[in-house]
Amino acid sequence: MNGATGHMQLPNRVEILAPAGSFESLRAAVQAGADAVYFGVEQLNMRARSSNNFTVADLKKIAVIGRKNSLKTYLTLNTIVYNHDLALMKSIVRTAKECGINAVIAMDHAVIGYAAEVGLPVHLSTQANVTNIEAVKFYARFADLIVLSRELTLSQVAEICRQVAEQDVRGPSGDLVRIEVFAHGALCMAVSGKCYLSLHTHNASANRGACKQNCRRAYTVRDDEGNELKIDNEFIMSPKDLCTIGFLDRVLATGVSVLKIEGRSKGPDYVYETAACYREAAESIHDGSYGPEKVGAWMQRLEKVYNRGFWDGYYLGCELGEWTDAPGSKATERKTFIGLGLNYLGKIKVGEFKLQAGSLKVGDEVMVAGPTTGVARMRVTELRLDDSPVEAVERRGACFSMPSPVKIRSSDKLFKIEPV
Amino acid sequence: MIRIVFQRRKCIGCNACVEQAPAHWVMSQKDGKSYLRKSVKKGEYYVKHISAPECEENLRAARYCPARIIRVQTF
Repeated sequence: MNGATGHMQLPNRVEILAPAGSFESLRAAVQAGADAVYFGVEQLNMRARSSNNFTVADLKKIAVIGRKNSLKTYLTLNTIVYNHDLALMKSIVRTAKECGINAVIAMDHAVIGYAAEVGLPVHLSTQANVTNIEAVKFYARFADLIVLSRELTLSQVAEICRQVAEQDVRGPSGDLVRIEVFAHGALCMAVSGKCYLSLHTHNASANRGACKQNCRRAYTVRDDEGNELKIDNEFIMSPKDLCTIGFLDRVLATGVSVLKIEGRSKGPDYVYETAACYREAAESIHDGSYGPEKVGAWMQRLEKVYNRGFWDGYYLGCELGEWTDAPGSKATERKTFIGLGLNYLGKIKVGEFKLQAGSLKVGDEVMVAGPTTGVARMRVTELRLDDSPVEAVERRGACFSMPSPVKIRSSDKLFKIEPV
Repeated sequence: MIRIVFQRRKCIGCNACVEQAPAHWVMSQKDGKSYLRKSVKKGEYYVKHISAPECEENLRAARYCPARIIRVQTF
C-alpha cells in the first residue's frame, strides 16, 4: 500500500466494469483490459431506446466472448416492470442463467426474486437508491453486490464498506457483500436516475429506458408578460460528467470492489479509453506509481472521447452547481465516418476499404471499429488506389488500401479523427 | 382510406397505446411489447386499416407513444 491511499486496506483487485451497448463496445472493453461489462437486452433496461440493444439471442455469444477473455458479463434488467413484462423478464433471466451470464443488475423485486429462484446472482442496481448499511443488509439477503446511490460522499461510501466487514454482511453466495460505485460518465440531475421530466414532456419514461434528456437542453426563463430573464448558463439542469481518476486512490481506499463506467449509449472509442485509463489508474495505485503526472496524461485521454466537461460528482462533498455549458460533447476529438472495411491482406498487413463519405489523405489519423475488431487507431502512412500510391482519396465509392497493423474485416467501419 | 402502421421492433412496452385505444392495442404477455390487434405483418411493420370513427383514439395512441413508432396515415 502506498502513502497516498490513506489508512484503509485496499481490496485485492478492483474490478473495472465497462459499458457495452454493442459488440464493438464489448470488444473494446476486452481490448482495454476491463474486468467486466454490463449490457442490456430487449426493452427492459435503462437504455431501452437510446442504445443499440442486444437481443435474447445474443446472450450466448456475449457469455462466450466473456468466458474466452476472462471478462465477467452482467445483464442490466433494471427498469420498472409491469405485469405484461413478467414473461419476457423471466425468459431473459432464465436464458441468461442457462448461457452462463455472471449476474443480473436488478432493481424490481420481481426480477430479484426470480433471479434468486433460478440461481442467477443478483447485483442491486443504483436505481434502488441504497444509501445506508441497513439497506445493504436488507438487500444482502438477495444480492451479492450492491451498487450504491451516486449521491453519497466518499466518507459515506467508506463507512458503508467498513460496516459490511465489521457486521459481516454476506450475500447469498456466502461471501461478504461487495460494493460498487460509479467512477466515470454522465450524471443526471435526478436522485438515482428517478426522473420524470421526460415523462411529463414526451410521455417517455426515463424509468423505462426512454429518457428524452430534457435536462441536457438549454432553457430560457420568461415571465408571464414575455420578459426574458438573463441567466448565466442556459443549461440549468445538465450536470457535467463524473470523473474520479484524479482522486481514484481515495475512491479505492473506501474499500469498494467495483468501479462502474457509465455509457452504454456511447461508442467503442469511449469504452476503450475510459476502461483503459481506469484499469491503468487502479494498477498504478496498487504498485505505488499513481501521481499527478499520470493523472494529467489520463485526463488528456479521457477528454478526447465523449464528455460534457468533468467534475467530482458528489464524492468530495462539494455543493451542487457544476453544470455543463454545452449541449453535447466537449470531446477534444471528432470522429467522422468515412468508409467501410472490405478485406485484409495478412501477409503484407494491408487493409482494403471503400470510401463512402468525405476524404482521406496520407498523414490523417483514423479509427477502425467493428464487432470483432473492437477499436484500433492508426495513422495513414500510405494510400493506394488501383495499386498506385496516391496522396489522397476523395472519390466516393473508391476502393483503396492502406497499411494496417490490425486485421480489417467487412464488418468494420472507418472513421477519420480530427481535433475539434 | 386510413391505416395504422406500427414499427413493433422498436416498442419499449410502456402500455401507453393500450390505455388510449384498448380496442386496437394489447400488451403481449409473451414478449412484453404492444400488439396491434388484427394487423398484417409487412416486413418489420404491422399494418391495419381502420375507419374514420376509429381514427381519433389511434391518433392519441400515436401521440402518446414515447418511441414514436405508431403512424396513422390517411390516403
